[in-house]
Amino acid sequence: MRKLFLLLFLNFFGFAAFAQSGGERISGLFAQMNFERFANTVENQTSYEFHFRQKDVADVRVNLQLSDASLPNALDEIFSGTNLKYTIDGELGVWISSESRMQMNFSPQFFEIKERSDDETSIVDSVDRFARNKLYTIGRSTDDPEKSSATISGIVTSIENGEPMEGAIVLERVNYNQMVTGPDGYYELTLPKGRHTLVVQNIGGFQEQRQINLLGDGKLNMRIAETVLSLDEVVVSSGALSNIQKLDMGVQAISIDEVKRLPAVLGEVDLVRGILTTPGVNTVGEASVGFNVRGGAADQNLILYNQSTVFNPSHVFGFFSAFNADLTSGVELYKGSIPVNYGGRLSSVLQIDADFGNEEKFSGSGGIGLLTGRLSLEGPISENTTFKIGGRATYSDWVLNLLEDETDLNGSDVSFYDLNANIRHEIDEKNILEFTGYLSQDDFSFDPDTTFNYRNFNVAGTWRHFFNDQLEGSFTFGYDSYEFGIIGIENPLNSFDFSFEVEQFHLRSDFEYRKNENHIFKFGFHAIQYDLDPGTIQPFGPESILIEQDLERERAREFSIYFGDEFTINEELSISYGGRYMFYNMYGQQTINEYVPGAPITDSNVIGERSFGSGESVKTYHGPEFRVSARYILDNQSSLKAGFNTNRQNLHLLTNTSAIAPTDSWKLSDTYIKPQTGGQASLGYYRNLARGQVEFSAEVYYRYMRNLLDFRSGATLILNENIEQDVLNSDGRAYGIEFLLKKNVGDLRGSLAYTFSRSFLKTSDDPSIEKVNNGEFYPSNYDQPHNVVLALNYELSKRINTTLNTNYSTGRPVTLPISKFEYAGSERVFFSERNAYRIPDYFRIDFSVNLEGNHKVNKVAHASWSFGVYNLLGRSNPYSVYYTPIEGEIKGFQLSIFARPIPFITYNFRF
Amino acid sequence: MKHKVTIFSLLLLLILACREPFEPDIEPSDQNVLVVEGYLDSDGSPSILKLSFTSELDGPIQDNSGLLGASIFLESSSGNQFPLTEIGQGEYLHETDIPEVDTYRLRIFLRNGNSYTSEELRPIITPDIIDAGFVKNETGVEIFITTQGDENADNFLWTYEEAWAFRPAISSPFKYDPDVQDVVIRGDEERNDICYKVSPNSDLLLETSSRFEDQFVFRQSISQIEQGDEKLSVRYSILISQKALSEEDSEFWEILKKNTDDLGSIFSPLPSLIGGNISFDQDPSAPVIGQVSLGKVRQKRLFIDNREVIPWGLEEIPEYVGCFISQDTVFIESYPTKLQSGIILPVRPIIPEGGFNPIGYLTAPVNCVDCTRRGSNVPPEFWED
Repeated sequence: MRKLFLLLFLNFFGFAAFAQSGGERISGLFAQMNFERFANTVENQTSYEFHFRQKDVADVRVNLQLSDASLPNALDEIFSGTNLKYTIDGELGVWISSESRMQMNFSPQFFEIKERSDDETSIVDSVDRFARNKLYTIGRSTDDPEKSSATISGIVTSIENGEPMEGAIVLERVNYNQMVTGPDGYYELTLPKGRHTLVVQNIGGFQEQRQINLLGDGKLNMRIAETVLSLDEVVVSSGALSNIQKLDMGVQAISIDEVKRLPAVLGEVDLVRGILTTPGVNTVGEASVGFNVRGGAADQNLILYNQSTVFNPSHVFGFFSAFNADLTSGVELYKGSIPVNYGGRLSSVLQIDADFGNEEKFSGSGGIGLLTGRLSLEGPISENTTFKIGGRATYSDWVLNLLEDETDLNGSDVSFYDLNANIRHEIDEKNILEFTGYLSQDDFSFDPDTTFNYRNFNVAGTWRHFFNDQLEGSFTFGYDSYEFGIIGIENPLNSFDFSFEVEQFHLRSDFEYRKNENHIFKFGFHAIQYDLDPGTIQPFGPESILIEQDLERERAREFSIYFGDEFTINEELSISYGGRYMFYNMYGQQTINEYVPGAPITDSNVIGERSFGSGESVKTYHGPEFRVSARYILDNQSSLKAGFNTNRQNLHLLTNTSAIAPTDSWKLSDTYIKPQTGGQASLGYYRNLARGQVEFSAEVYYRYMRNLLDFRSGATLILNENIEQDVLNSDGRAYGIEFLLKKNVGDLRGSLAYTFSRSFLKTSDDPSIEKVNNGEFYPSNYDQPHNVVLALNYELSKRINTTLNTNYSTGRPVTLPISKFEYAGSERVFFSERNAYRIPDYFRIDFSVNLEGNHKVNKVAHASWSFGVYNLLGRSNPYSVYYTPIEGEIKGFQLSIFARPIPFITYNFRF
Repeated sequence: MKHKVTIFSLLLLLILACREPFEPDIEPSDQNVLVVEGYLDSDGSPSILKLSFTSELDGPIQDNSGLLGASIFLESSSGNQFPLTEIGQGEYLHETDIPEVDTYRLRIFLRNGNSYTSEELRPIITPDIIDAGFVKNETGVEIFITTQGDENADNFLWTYEEAWAFRPAISSPFKYDPDVQDVVIRGDEERNDICYKVSPNSDLLLETSSRFEDQFVFRQSISQIEQGDEKLSVRYSILISQKALSEEDSEFWEILKKNTDDLGSIFSPLPSLIGGNISFDQDPSAPVIGQVSLGKVRQKRLFIDNREVIPWGLEEIPEYVGCFISQDTVFIESYPTKLQSGIILPVRPIIPEGGFNPIGYLTAPVNCVDCTRRGSNVPPEFWED
């Protein structure tokens, strides 16, 4: 075993070295070329030197289009179906022989030998050695005999834990048809009938291959080995083109591992902060729940945990992300061309993928940080059912207690927890059931008199059905809710219990139909039933004489149908087009005010009231959303993409603070508050540099938005029965350019993102009681023109990994006092026009180190440590500024939230 | 409840946050925004309308000479004019009984020709204060008010003015009289062992009575005096003013209050534009600050004596830190040199055994002995003992 391991190890080192001697890559079109000419061409391009006998290769015709391909890959192709073998020695000599391979003896380069039919080395167990050479016959030749091609599909799973393997590349070696497996491990390739070699490359793992004889449509599930060592990815050259080739634009995918490596506040791994390292995403400050995408408000982001909408993705007022990283498998942010199967928000979709359990064995992981402890368990329940559950909770208030002496935090208490439970059941190979559940709860009190709490609760069940090899469907039913409450007991006579709740039931059916190699159709139906309690205040305790106030519940339904087609016109040009049609209906019971038509919506313009009975339609809105994008490949290394999409949003966040507070409530579109609508046009250029090791992209965009909510001076947002009187209907526009440079391979990895963007609002031209800044455009609260994020990760060794994160952004706009006056016995301030000034710029550097335990396979548990410092420079970045009279004189202050270096340490384990 | 959120977020900030002075470069802007303040009494009790201009934040208060000699009157809808009389420093006195059923506009004509007009004002009769009282609790004394709204008066603004008696750290009936070069007993009018201080308060307390059953605002907290506060060391008085406000008035005060108390904590609202019900006739889009109201102010005065709240446990007063009687006797012969300046005052006579006349005095610093340094030894007019 040990020997095998050593061999394995060496093999990988050799392999990695091979991949890195990647100066020797070949590009070009070789059509009907004889081998000699091919060899000459390669010798000219590279330093390889060919040695062969003329007669051995006389019959060989080279028919290949290579883009940055490695020589062994090319030779594998060329010699497939012949009895020729090759060996590459340390001096880059290529030795070609017939029948048996030339042995180069045990030179140090021995392990660089790369062979097509590996009957000599054994890098995996015998079962798989067998699997590699076995010829699998797929389909029956009687199926559609007139068709020349057939589709092979299946699931790639891991040998170690039986879980579907996401991101594995399944590659066919002749035309380099390839596909990256999805979260469910699914792949599908349409190939000409006949013999093929499928290569499966798991990032960071072994390369596997299967010989197939494709006779008709069929399935081939593959189990491949993951690696115990964390190795450099073996870059399959054509895989590195994906950024250029994929049709989507404005998509940022971040792996959980990347997020985990980032330095975090108090060591709590934070998905949202991971997203903030990508261009076009910013936040108004550290203690804010939301993030702003391309100049949009924070409520314009659809945050999905699998299929469930999470309304408040944070703990403790935005200090920590509400998602447990152990229960998620990846994060994707769609900010440019939002896929047609998503809708309902204006700016972006943040898709957080749930992680499902291991099929093979029970295992678990956990960690202990300064603030929380977490634990998750996973494994099979039965042969076809797996589970994964996890939880995270604060276990002590000691951080607070530590500070209690310095501050007046007597009676302060912070606690939160979150729980996830994911179950997956495979009924048969065509039917999969998935269940996800999520609960997060926060409770605080910072003085003994007031308690805050809020809670997210989501459950969803999905049935995935593979109708046939072309058509896949998924059907989801779920329930999402968010509620918060405040209990105040300062004065027993006045004690109150305030609560807010938003709930939604949702039903979705999504279909994906692959018509042939050129079309992928997506279509489906979404329905949401909203039920929202805008606020209830009740007396709390027997002495309270407060009158109960209960705002009328709001109910609405939303239906959307969508259709989209990804159409590959030719190798260079692909387009994606489609649309959604959204129908929204608010229904009773509801009483609404009627106002003088054409006049501002004010209390004095109320001319009556109209009541709607239970179920009676109050207001209907409907309209289309368009999604169009196109990609044109300029050359092997670069492409251009363009897109335009429009969106509609019926759920609005009522907030007039600069950051989202958990006490901000949501509001449904009604007679006076119209759905927000908006559109975005974007154009992007993508290029791979340094042989695919570095990705570069530049995207420009322009957005317009209608029916945004701003609020008039002195607006009351809580318990306001006539909120429409306080709302100022606003228009918005935003534009920007984003640059991203990303290096994904090597010991030093990282990304540099620069964004220039502007975002403006303007009170709309409708009659209204107040026009902010005289109806001119003014910068929105999150207009931060310059934003630079540099994230660097350096792997000192396989066990020590360091990350440096640097963040700069222009200060956000604020409205400042510009003059003072005396009123009611005190000095008061007079404010500038809305957002006429800015707080100082933001700059922060964080540093973290991840230490892996040793890699003995038989250890009971694997442990790792993360430690680091947040805000290494201790710079006090102002979060906000405010003015307050100090002894009758008005003084300005700036507040910083993490004004000191905040060290952290976390212990993680898995077993 | 909104306030609770603010308090909460401020507390939250204390945990890791840091507060530093912030002095941005503010562009010089138009400082000629007129500010009008007044709650004019509709039944003829004297009330004051105050005019001023805004001034630069860090600069001196604006020269208000442009406000001298303005002509101001209330104009009823029936066309009657009720002029206000100038009493100087931008203040104008109103003491006319005006019919409460009518509506009015306030007209202001400045000497430079600018004129301003208020929106239509309707007098609001503030209901009486039903009760004002206090209760002792764990943290001190809470002063409350009870009132009831009616169909005309739903929104209330309470302001208050405090006054209290206090003593010096060390009491002494003695003083040095340079004329006779001896220590003598102070006369009544020279007493410096009990003083009074009157302090207007700028807190704005707003409440809407319709939140409560029968619009009955029961024991609305007005002020809290912390345990041990000097205000209650002897005797304390508070004058609570209750003003009923219209909906628009209430909004204005709410904004004023928010803009003053509530700025820039984590979750505090964006500052609101303050306006009011006055507009500039020559340029209606130009800003004018001020919400003028017409109505009747109700007031209630409350006295609280130290005996009613004992044990009070007076907290140390910063001005009295380090106050003690010097152990060095100042003898008669050194009175002129030591006591002439008044920096130290005689507090305890040294009388030899068997003697009658003091041979000298122990002394203490003047700030520990003379309460007139911090207040007046004349009780205010309203004071009742």
